[in-house]
Amino acid sequence: MLNFTTEERKVALFLLGLAFCGLILNNLIKVNARVEKLVYPQVELAKLNLNKISLSEISKVKGVSLKLGERIIEYRSLHKEFRFLEELKEVKGIGRLRYERLKEVFFI
Amino acid sequence: MNSLLVWLTGFYCLGIILASLKLINFWLAILVGIFIYFVVSKLQTKSFIFLSAVLFLTVLLGFFNLKNAYRLPKNHINNFVIYKDNQLYSLNGYVDSQPELKNNSLSFIFRLQSAQADKLRFKSCGKVLVKINFNQALSYGTNLTLIGKLSRPYGYNRASYSYKEYLKRLDIYLVMSIKDVRQVIIQPGFGGSKLIAGSFWLRSKMEEAIYRALPELPASLLAAMVLGQKRNVPWLINDLMIKSGTVHILVVSGFNVSIVAFIINLLFKILRIPRKQRLILAIICLLIYCAVTGASNPVVRATVMGVVFLSAYFFKRDFDIYNSLALSALFILIIAPRQFFDIGFQLSFISVWAIIYLYPKLKAFFHLEDYKNKIWKFIGEGFLVSLSAWLGTLWIIAFNFRIIAPITIIANILIVPLATVITLSGFTLVVFGLIHPYLASLFSAPVALFINLLLSINTAIIKLPFAYIRY
Repeated sequence: MLNFTTEERKVALFLLGLAFCGLILNNLIKVNARVEKLVYPQVELAKLNLNKISLSEISKVKGVSLKLGERIIEYRSLHKEFRFLEELKEVKGIGRLRYERLKEVFFI
Repeated sequence: MNSLLVWLTGFYCLGIILASLKLINFWLAILVGIFIYFVVSKLQTKSFIFLSAVLFLTVLLGFFNLKNAYRLPKNHINNFVIYKDNQLYSLNGYVDSQPELKNNSLSFIFRLQSAQADKLRFKSCGKVLVKINFNQALSYGTNLTLIGKLSRPYGYNRASYSYKEYLKRLDIYLVMSIKDVRQVIIQPGFGGSKLIAGSFWLRSKMEEAIYRALPELPASLLAAMVLGQKRNVPWLINDLMIKSGTVHILVVSGFNVSIVAFIINLLFKILRIPRKQRLILAIICLLIYCAVTGASNPVVRATVMGVVFLSAYFFKRDFDIYNSLALSALFILIIAPRQFFDIGFQLSFISVWAIIYLYPKLKAFFHLEDYKNKIWKFIGEGFLVSLSAWLGTLWIIAFNFRIIAPITIIANILIVPLATVITLSGFTLVVFGLIHPYLASLFSAPVALFINLLLSINTAIIKLPFAYIRY
């Protein structure tokens, strides 16, 4: 019984520890919504906020030239803010394909 | 001459460089090659002459292999298509890659078997990159008839990178854009290799297990780290990781291959399988993992090195890391000599070379062995490994990506150990997820937490002053 080698013991401990953490975290997520934010990466880490981004930042985005960036910022100033991501299509120079790419980069 | 393979690889690469510079006439090289071959067959007893001739012939091998790679067969589709061709082509062949769906567009590599232009039907070969503007259920090996116009990819330049050149290295010279369902006709039968189809099937099952257990963002990162599937990684994260010099964790590398080897070896050990059978099975599993992850350059490098290491253990021979690294480079360059000019290939080999060459020297220089505190020693070792890799790859990254990121050294000390934990937990999640989704859910929350921590650290590091310089 339990005639494990050192390596096998380490693996068993790793698996048990991981499963143990998983169960505790799953439980805490169900109890407290804040824990969910702590555990799962939020959209801010992976996308840029279209309503807060500056011109210098937007022009560094792949597929957005300085001119297009200016038009996006101009549209945002004119309408106070973007309410839906689809509004990007109304900016001159953003067609279906470019919109499909940009919606991967921005969030509102 | 302990590192014979290193010398052979070096001279073979020299041949590739000479061929790319177009300084030597092809026929003259053939004549010189034949002359040396006959001279060496007469004087093979003299060691020095024999060795010099072998090295010279290796240069010629590299030279001819690259020349051959550039020369297309007579019936290659590229030879029939002229620039700005308005001709409608009907192409018969099969899907030669796993179709990728992104932004409602499907793209895949199509391997051609025959073509038709006007009423002229002819046997043809070559690969075409197909972009379909709608979603269609296709998989690797599906026989198809495609009707459309063929065009050449644009050769726009960004730094020293050209999309056209990139596709050329994949043997793709033409692109077909399809906008109508009627342009795609599915034919009966299966065109590809059953082995590759099996690998893709396994990969899709593994991906399913990941995406079932985790939300999209952490799942995309885990799929990249464990299976090398980077297509869903958000642009911003990729960009931030390039800036911090940690983007290497998003590809399958030697590190993943060593983890797979370790897990397999351990599993077979627990199952009490004898040593020799265990090693053979481990080699087979490594080859399967290589196929599953798409056999990219870093994986092939690591797999060849892993197989050499396990074989040395099997035959009870000494393992020389330089020779195994050289062998893996030679293996890739014999099959695809154009990979020599691929940035990924250069980074993969130079970073490993820098670590195995510079790290022991830096360790001795800083007297790291004298450190008694284990934590400081661990941090010191991590720092020196990162420093070695950074010093080795600095000039390639600076030249190609126009970025110098001193923060790389610190970022790697923090992020690489975390990536190790994520990869180990990720493999655990995938293995258990293949058995039952509930088992994967046991591990999903810790994996997501580690990924969240990694992204937060990376985002914070980038904000430090002089973290990176772009020019």
